[in-house]
Amino acid sequence: MQKLITLQVNGERHELAVEPDESLLQVLRNRLELVGPKKGCDSGGCGCCSVHVDGRVAYSCMMYAVGAEGREITTIEGIGSPATGLHRLQQAFIDAGAVQCGYCTCGIIMAAKQLLDTVKQPSEDQIRLAIAGNLCRCTGYAKIVDAIKLAAAQT
Amino acid sequence: MTLPNLQDYHRPATAEETIALMQQHGDGAMLVAGGTFVHGLEVRGLLEGVTALIDIGRLGLASIRREPGGILLGATTTLADLAAADFVRGEPAFGAVRDALTYPPPQIRNVGTVGGCVAAAAPLYDLPAALLALDGRVQALGAKGARELPLDGFFRGLFESALAPGELITAIAIPAPPARTTSAFLKLETNANDLAILSVAVRLTLDARGAIGTARVVLGGGVGEAYVRAAAAEAALAGRKADAQAFAAAAEAVAGDFEPVADHRGSAAYRRHIAGVYLRRALTTARERLG
Repeated sequence: MQKLITLQVNGERHELAVEPDESLLQVLRNRLELVGPKKGCDSGGCGCCSVHVDGRVAYSCMMYAVGAEGREITTIEGIGSPATGLHRLQQAFIDAGAVQCGYCTCGIIMAAKQLLDTVKQPSEDQIRLAIAGNLCRCTGYAKIVDAIKLAAAQT
Repeated sequence: MTLPNLQDYHRPATAEETIALMQQHGDGAMLVAGGTFVHGLEVRGLLEGVTALIDIGRLGLASIRREPGGILLGATTTLADLAAADFVRGEPAFGAVRDALTYPPPQIRNVGTVGGCVAAAAPLYDLPAALLALDGRVQALGAKGARELPLDGFFRGLFESALAPGELITAIAIPAPPARTTSAFLKLETNANDLAILSVAVRLTLDARGAIGTARVVLGGGVGEAYVRAAAAEAALAGRKADAQAFAAAAEAVAGDFEPVADHRGSAAYRRHIAGVYLRRALTTARERLG
């Protein structure tokens, strides 16, 4: 039996009929066509699906969409785009060359955003801990850390 | 997600409504708070019998209260909110809680709950070991009313606790720690999202002479189906001066306190060795916190 819910995503309200066991990630990607959050491990281990829920980073694969009703969801699409202007983290990932295949990037930027939202000038340790819940299998993290430092320096 | 027999996802507004739903669905009822444990079971195909998900996020159980007798942690308090509490950040007595909350990544800390990781009854989780070392108590509510159960004895087996069918956890109560109390937690893991290969939580309360009045040693991770109160290690500490000799004696004694799991993540001999090493380190950290 589908449930009728209202989801607040990137500042917009969406009326949706969803399965009661549908994850927030499934709804974002398959029903709202927001494909920034990725399906990686689908079990809370890789961080590709990271979004913000009420301003805090969370794994959207581990959250039921019905349970997300009433919360403010923000995906990578909601923080900046080529059309509206890139967020400084997005620009810094380009400038630092912190992307290879790109699959982890949206999740890592959302994790880094929570850090920069709360700590203006984070240490390298704080940066590494902030992205500890995200895996990148290409870059070895060095340029990702550089990118986050670069974005932090621009505040 | 795949719950083949799921009929509905409920978001009750009161504990009474929650209990009625649990009664109605019996074994088919599964409570959801942060959802991370539920999801872990779901992806392993362990929830095929679930007919109703009951989300307790709207019960108003997310609160941290300091009372004369101690601290009351509402069941749906997130790990992140607990980590931000003044007493967790600053007081040596709550050092084990502080340590345990540094291990999960932000994505888990922001949604995982205090009550959820206790209700899971899986010794692989970090925070319950710390709460157990602090003599925490579970406040439960069911159709027959409210009751309080000590965490010591609460964990009966893997995914099995002393909760009766149809009961939910409303809070975890931690008694006010006596003066000169300190604690620490240490975990062996392979990455930031890993479950404990082995974990150790310790709490020491020193008496007026500086000797160890009360000692608690709790083991988690691959130590069996439930957390272990390490009685021999505690006995090796009680009454002694809190120094390196006492800590070494406890580290030696702890090997006899449990039957380690042996698997691809570590042999029994390795886990037994690590228990001693980590216990000595955790005790040293706890002692240093008292200055």
